[in-house]
Order: sequence, then structure tokens, then C-alpha cells
Amino acid sequence: MASTGENGDSLSLNLTPMLDIFSILVTFLLMSYSTDPVNHDIDQDLELPSSATLANLDEVPAIVVNRKSIMINDKKVVDLQGGDVPEKDRDQGAIRPVYETLVKIQEQNKKVMANLGREEKEKQNSLVMEMDQDHNFKLMKRIMLSAEQAEFVKFKLVVAREGD
Amino acid sequence: MSRRKKRRQSPQPKEAELNIMPFIDIFSMLNTFLLVSAAFVNIGLIEVQVPFLTNAPPPKDKPPRSLDIHVAVEKDKVELESRWSAPPVDEKKTEYKLDEAGLSSLHKELVALRQSSPDSDKLNVHSEDDVPYKKLVEVLDAVMLRRKGDPVFDKFEGNRLEKLKEENFIFRKVVMAGVIL
Repeated sequence: MASTGENGDSLSLNLTPMLDIFSILVTFLLMSYSTDPVNHDIDQDLELPSSATLANLDEVPAIVVNRKSIMINDKKVVDLQGGDVPEKDRDQGAIRPVYETLVKIQEQNKKVMANLGREEKEKQNSLVMEMDQDHNFKLMKRIMLSAEQAEFVKFKLVVAREGD
Repeated sequence: MSRRKKRRQSPQPKEAELNIMPFIDIFSMLNTFLLVSAAFVNIGLIEVQVPFLTNAPPPKDKPPRSLDIHVAVEKDKVELESRWSAPPVDEKKTEYKLDEAGLSSLHKELVALRQSSPDSDKLNVHSEDDVPYKKLVEVLDAVMLRRKGDPVFDKFEGNRLEKLKEENFIFRKVVMAGVIL
């Protein structure tokens, strides 16, 4: 690329290094381009534990437990206090607002899944859960208990895959 | 003579210049698109289940003797308990530290147990309330997933990627046994 300056001197901008950088960047990005069936952005207020699992994310997480709150389908259900559920929201070890929300989801699932095949019906009983790695099992147990009461018995725990 | 003069006066051929601006434009667009849509953390899943009551009849082809395995996770240790459902019961209890070396030993013991009972792909995990989720996932990794050099327990026929995923387990069914009202 050449242009003429005020004094009539010819100025030339060497674009080759920029093209080199672009080529390398495009190659790297194309190589690391995710081909997972579901593209999901992790909640900014949580850090996922890492795992060597090879299973891909196949559904968008229904329950997101970040450092401050529990969300179901992107709607805040409970605010956490010191990593646990406030006393007023607890019920026999479970979390009442989580249970009530999941019961509604399960009712909708049953209506939708009534005419579907067995494989799809099995999905009806499973929940995808994304949770911050620093929470204790106590909180996880409360959520699982609430979900179990709403007839969700399988949990797909979202993790960051190692080595990718 | 006149011919020679004409040849000398003929203009020099211009230097050919490749217009690379459209090329740069395409690269810029492609870069922007890929950077926006790139997923820098690759997300995976670990599947577990909780115990639940069912009124379904027990399976007819249940083997007369099966292996029950329980893994109890505490804040700094893991306890493995195994016993057969019928005599000889051969009950074993072993404790491991909850660190890389401990989990590696636990993993080897579980591989040996699965080899002794190839039909059993179920394992129960109990966890204390104060165990961080990060540590629990490390334990789940050690008890569920095969590592380099481990034998394949559940053969799967299919394409290479599916085969890798499906054969990646020592124990496929993990029950979070403590989650019960």
C-alpha cells in the first residue's frame, strides 16, 4: 500500500505482518471453534469446577447457583446468605421457593412430554445444574432434595472440561 | 535507426500491485465474528442421580450375588466400603486422603472392584455437608471416569467420538445416597 506525502515522497505501509497476525488468529479461532450442540454463556458470578468428563452440554442449565443467588430458568428464586439459604425459605432441609418453581416446570413438562418417546420422557426427570465451585454440598443437597420432591431425580452437573 | 529509437522510448511496464484491502476486510469480519462467538471455556457434564422410591417390580435377571460400593466423602478424607450381597460377604473398608495421591489410589481400587464385578456399574456416594462442590467433583471424577491405561468395561459400538464418550466410565450410575428426606 503506497501513498504520496506532502513533499512528494512515497510512503508505504507494510501490511504483511498484520496479515500474518490475522491469519494466525483466524486459524486459532477456527480450530477452537466450539461444535457443542448447545452454546451457553456461564454466569459471570460463578466459577465452575473442572472435570475430565467427555460428555457435552446438551441442554441449557435450568438451575444456576452463583455466589449470591439461586436462579431457575434465568429468574432469581432465592437470595443466598453466607452461602446458604435463609431460614425463612427452608422447609425440612429443602428450599420451598425452589420446590414450588420446579413443580410448575414439571407440570408443564408432563403436558409437553405426554406424546413423546421414552428417551424424551427420561429428560423430563433430569435437571441441568450449574453451580459455583466454592459452595458446600449442604446447599447442593438442599437443591437436590427440593428437586427430588418435584420428581426430578437425575442431575447433570455442569463442569469446565479439563484440557480443552 | 528509427525502429531502435522507438524501442528505447517505449514506456517501462508498471509494477503489478495486488490489492489486498478486500482480503483484510474479510479477515477483519471473520476475526470479529469468531472472537464474539468463541467459547473459551469448554463445558461438560457429570450425571448423577438421587435415590427415589418406585413401585416398579425388581429386575428378573438380578444376579444372585452383587457388589455394593459406598464412597463416603469428608472434608479431608474419602472412605471406600465394599461388600458382596451374599456370602462370602468379603467386606472391606479403606480410607484415602482427599488429595491427588489419595484419589489416585481410590481410583485404582475401584477399577479392581469393577473388574471383579463387571456386571455392576452402580456406586453410592455419601458426602458430608461441609465438603466443597469442587472437591466433590474431583471425587466424582476419580470414581466415575476411566483414566489412561484403565481397561474398557462397557463396550460400545458406534462412531469414534461416541465410543470415546460411552466407554469413558468405570461406574456409570452414581447415586448421591445421602440426598433423602
